[in-house]
Amino acid sequence: MSAAAVEAQRLVKTYKGRGGQVEAVRGVDLRIEPGEIFGFLGPNGAGKSTTVRMLTTLLTITSGSATVAGVDVAREPDKARRKMGVALQEAGLDPRQKGRELLVLQARLFGMNAGEAAARADELLTLVELEDAADRLIKGYSGGMKRRLDLASALVHRPEVLFLDEPTTGLDPASRITVWEEVRRINQLGTTVFLTTQYLEEADQLCGRLAIIDDGVIVREGTPERLKAELRERAALDHDPTLDDVFLDATGRTRAKAEGAVSEVIA
Amino acid sequence: MSQTWVLGQRALREAWRTPEAILPTLFIPLFFLVVNIGQAGKIFPSTTTEFLKGQGYGAFQLPASLLLAASFGTAALYLVEDIEGGYFDKLRAAPVSRAALVLGRLFAEFVKGIVISIAIVALGFAFGIEIASGPLGFVLLVLLTASWAVVFVGLLQLIALKTRNAAATNSASLIFFPLMFLTPNFVPRELLTRPMEIAATLNPVTYLMESLRSLILDDLDWATIWPGFAVVVVVGAIMLAANVRLINHYD
Repeated sequence: MSAAAVEAQRLVKTYKGRGGQVEAVRGVDLRIEPGEIFGFLGPNGAGKSTTVRMLTTLLTITSGSATVAGVDVAREPDKARRKMGVALQEAGLDPRQKGRELLVLQARLFGMNAGEAAARADELLTLVELEDAADRLIKGYSGGMKRRLDLASALVHRPEVLFLDEPTTGLDPASRITVWEEVRRINQLGTTVFLTTQYLEEADQLCGRLAIIDDGVIVREGTPERLKAELRERAALDHDPTLDDVFLDATGRTRAKAEGAVSEVIA
Repeated sequence: MSQTWVLGQRALREAWRTPEAILPTLFIPLFFLVVNIGQAGKIFPSTTTEFLKGQGYGAFQLPASLLLAASFGTAALYLVEDIEGGYFDKLRAAPVSRAALVLGRLFAEFVKGIVISIAIVALGFAFGIEIASGPLGFVLLVLLTASWAVVFVGLLQLIALKTRNAAATNSASLIFFPLMFLTPNFVPRELLTRPMEIAATLNPVTYLMESLRSLILDDLDWATIWPGFAVVVVVGAIMLAANVRLINHYD
């Protein structure tokens, strides 16, 4: 079997809480093939971000193992970091730098010399269509521009795997579609994409395969079509279910409960 | 080293773009210098006060102003901003040595410390202060002040990494005041009351202050100068080791 782009085996993360141990992730198994766009869905607090942070070397792994592009993230974190690009929730950018400066700095940190870094920054600014804003301070960027710059900064070293943690949260619909286009374009260039999202439409649009995590364990995994067909058959539905239906079924929520929760928030 | 250099350049750009964070570093120490001279200058006239060695009281007070300026480093607060904004995670997700993550900002603080201490000493010349130890003494004075600025802000970085909270980091910087006032700040150590003398003797900042003061008032008196540098080296080594350890175990 060829090396997976991302592989996790019995991944566990335990925190010490005030009331004792908290198991945020409880034995996650994943295998993502090179070239996939893989969606990782789940309600708030289900363990999505914790899983991503372990896979990206930002959190220590309590038990289990994980590899990215065949490299063990716990044993060889620096080697793994060279194989992956990371864009986390809330674009992690320095508002007091200019877009071009940020990309050049990121490229230098990945070992490029000044000339290579400048050339790579130019390429990426073109890719994410930020050439005109390249020499402006990031604090003046819109939310969509920040997201695109964050994406570009995750790509400076041409990673084999790109982790995107809720890349469109807080964006307006137009910016969201722009980010989707960028993700498709990046994937077409050969990069495997691991995407967490709360937006089911986003997963449906982008992902060839997905997993749903709830309470720290994976409760569904497959292509969107297969998951919908499986629900239709199992629940004997007389209509085609949506990914929302799959999600609600997998996480034990009902549409009425979910809508009720939303009304409460609005009220 | 190249990672430290590029991260240091970034921190210097940040400082250049926020002059409002640097100006108080110059203004407040000079304010205290002027106020302290105004309050005690007549009590300690240069002609009859032996410990002034022929200079005015401003020369005796200049080390306190330099140490005050050295306590205004911004690296720890900017680090909290990086942590809160997610940029610190971006840096941690890159194959950057954990030591470089600490040293980049400290390098920038060192450069800022040199510029600010030169400016303060230069303004001291306007008050008639002279550096009795000559050009070498001037260089040592600037280096010692800038090095202590690095050590002090590095200690605050520990608070920043541990708490990840701007308010806690800001509050921790207030530790400077007891450290500063439990020193022979206004008179030499032998003129302090016994309890204050004991407290000052136990306080490492005392040796920095005496070292700086010696560079201003005496010809190169190595016996008084070296303890200040020893404090910087020892406390600095502990600070660096603790920072790297905290970043290595940062979850």
